[in-house]
Amino acid sequence: MGIEVDVIFKIAGVGIVVAFLHTILDQVGKKEYAQWVTLFGFIYILFMVASIVEDLFQKIKSVFLFQG
Amino acid sequence: MLKLIGAIFILMATTWAGFEAGRNLSRRTRQLRQLKVALQSLESEIMYGHTPLREAALKLAKQHSKPLSLLFESFAEKLSDGGTTVKIAWDDSLEEIWKLLSLKQGEFEILSQFGETLGQHNRYHQQQKILLTMSHLEREEQDAAERQGKYEKMFKSLGFLSGLLLIILLI
Repeated sequence: MGIEVDVIFKIAGVGIVVAFLHTILDQVGKKEYAQWVTLFGFIYILFMVASIVEDLFQKIKSVFLFQG
Repeated sequence: MLKLIGAIFILMATTWAGFEAGRNLSRRTRQLRQLKVALQSLESEIMYGHTPLREAALKLAKQHSKPLSLLFESFAEKLSDGGTTVKIAWDDSLEEIWKLLSLKQGEFEILSQFGETLGQHNRYHQQQKILLTMSHLEREEQDAAERQGKYEKMFKSLGFLSGLLLIILLI
């Protein structure tokens, strides 16, 4: 359980910082960089979530299909 | 504990890099302003003081602060050594000092063009050339001031925030 709470905080932190970066880059008129930063932040979080969901699927498999 | 120390180091490094990038912008504006003042006093030395170029350059070197004074100092030195034309002496000293200045390629071209005309014409032509160079520098200074107002703050906060992001990604 401890690890999952950690991950949630990490996602929140990345979200806050990326939001700030987006705002600042937007203000000085570098819209395209702002969008790239947001996109990369999103992809990073997506990968993190995907690995967690994969853990969940492994657990489900091990429960219902009696594997390792 | 070790993680915390590393995080602080990363944050300090990126913040410092951001501040340095921001300071570079303000340095450019300041140096352009100083350069303009230097050309103005060079003009008055030539027009009203009738000072020889070497002595005028020495005076300018005394009047100004560090990075710019070195340019005039080495220029005067090369002139007193002799054996070169004014243009070559100016170009050489410009290239020597260039690494210390935070100016851009456009300013380098303007200054090296200015050196080509230096000491070749009579006083009135020389004054015209100095005025022309000054108006070029004026335009560059406006551009530099605009960039400074726009990007200085951005670099500062960008440095800090990217450090923060890096820490979160690495934890």
